[in-house]
Amino acid sequence: MATLHVSFGPQHPGSGPMRLILDLDGDIVVKAVPDIGYVHRNIEKIAEKRSHIVNVPVLERISNIDSFNASLGYIMAVEELMNITPPPRAQFIRVIMSELNRIMSHLYGLAISFESSGLLAPLYWGIADRELFLDLAEMVTGSRITYTYAMLGGVREDLPNGFKDQAIKTFNYFEKRLDEYYDMIFGNKTYQMRLKGVGVLKHDDAIKLGVTGPTLRGSGVNVDVRVDEPYAAYEQIDFKIITEETGDSFARAMVRFNEIRESMSIIRKALDKLPEGPFRERAPFRTPEGEAYSRIESGRGEIGYYVVSDGTDKPYRVKISAPSFRNISALPHMMKGAHMADVPIIIFSTDPWPFDSDR
Amino acid sequence: MSSELENKLAEEIKSQFPNAEVKVQRKFRISLSIDKESIIEIARYLREIGFDQAVSVSGVDKIKENMFIVVYHIWSTSKKVLASLKTQVPRDNPNLPSLVKIFESVNWHEKETHEMFGINFEGHPDLGRLLLPEGWEGKFPLRKDFVK
Repeated sequence: MATLHVSFGPQHPGSGPMRLILDLDGDIVVKAVPDIGYVHRNIEKIAEKRSHIVNVPVLERISNIDSFNASLGYIMAVEELMNITPPPRAQFIRVIMSELNRIMSHLYGLAISFESSGLLAPLYWGIADRELFLDLAEMVTGSRITYTYAMLGGVREDLPNGFKDQAIKTFNYFEKRLDEYYDMIFGNKTYQMRLKGVGVLKHDDAIKLGVTGPTLRGSGVNVDVRVDEPYAAYEQIDFKIITEETGDSFARAMVRFNEIRESMSIIRKALDKLPEGPFRERAPFRTPEGEAYSRIESGRGEIGYYVVSDGTDKPYRVKISAPSFRNISALPHMMKGAHMADVPIIIFSTDPWPFDSDR
Repeated sequence: MSSELENKLAEEIKSQFPNAEVKVQRKFRISLSIDKESIIEIARYLREIGFDQAVSVSGVDKIKENMFIVVYHIWSTSKKVLASLKTQVPRDNPNLPSLVKIFESVNWHEKETHEMFGINFEGHPDLGRLLLPEGWEGKFPLRKDFVK
């Protein structure tokens, strides 16, 4: 039988600014080829022309929904080159902001994935509840989305008075709210039927295809940069890696859902242990010659920054190994044999962010 | 932090590949430099000893030395060590063998490096456009001599 050639996106509401070229036999996907690059800005080249400090607001835009994590990776690579260590208080504040960003990112990603499976009301639950965490970020940084808060040698400002109380108030509300999410969505038979067994990625394939973050952990691979290679203050905080065994779209959604709860518990612990002292130390302008590869766990998975320095105040080369780039490249494998109607579900089960895959 | 495991791995690799330059950079990081003729062999060996996930491929344009450096970052999900595997190719003849048959995940990374630097990965299944617009011809944006 002749296959039908369908261009899915970039204007399709279920694709984001990327395109999938699908070959269909009836409504079965025979072949899927992702076509990315619609929002390519060549941030790696832009970064070569700017000094390290000026690069922070530029690089956080690879993933504006998860901006603190995106800039933190670069900061850590440059700090390694400069051989400076931020003071303990800064390390804890970094953990707090990093987890706040993870919650925002997961909520947004989950909200859209609910919509792709036909649940329209929970889309707005996710978006509305995310505002509470944006409020917390605004309280700390003055901005809601892109903060330029991570700085060389620490963070830009100290936590404001009353942050702890406000954060705990939010968490107390949201932990109860998550139970409602569970009853309404994950415990919902329709939702389970749409997602279970769809877009399966097995343990070994997940490693081989190079996927990362919740997409990798949803396939039962017990890895998380926060534990494997602890940065900031993660070594001093007890938490568990969330994994699921089945490797389908439902498993990936469950990993994100459970990580939200875990992130709140990490922030509670970090606030309890928060040491006194300075929140930033002086950093030099120039980096000595050398290279560093830093890794951090963002909402979508590992972001790797490979920074090469030639001894000036600008990086000679910045390579960003972005999580969505890695996850989107595995979509053809997950989509083979899926129904056309499940294509958006599979796309959003990996929580793609074309801005970081294109850079 | 001690880096016992990293030192042990470096020793092992050195004994297998005496022509490689092996360094332990710090905990979690080892760095290997090798000529491009041996890259397939060493990559295969790395995969056998547990480096199972290639996470990044970077090109670096060393225009003063007339070289491109190609760096593969390969992580071991079991040993929790990241190896950077480096090789260099001359700028006027930028060809090296692709590692896509050994690490499937380098597919898009190599494609991007080809597009941005004009480095040819021999044996790669598809070195077409990835990020740049259709019809973009001839210029490689991440080369240091790129002028818009």
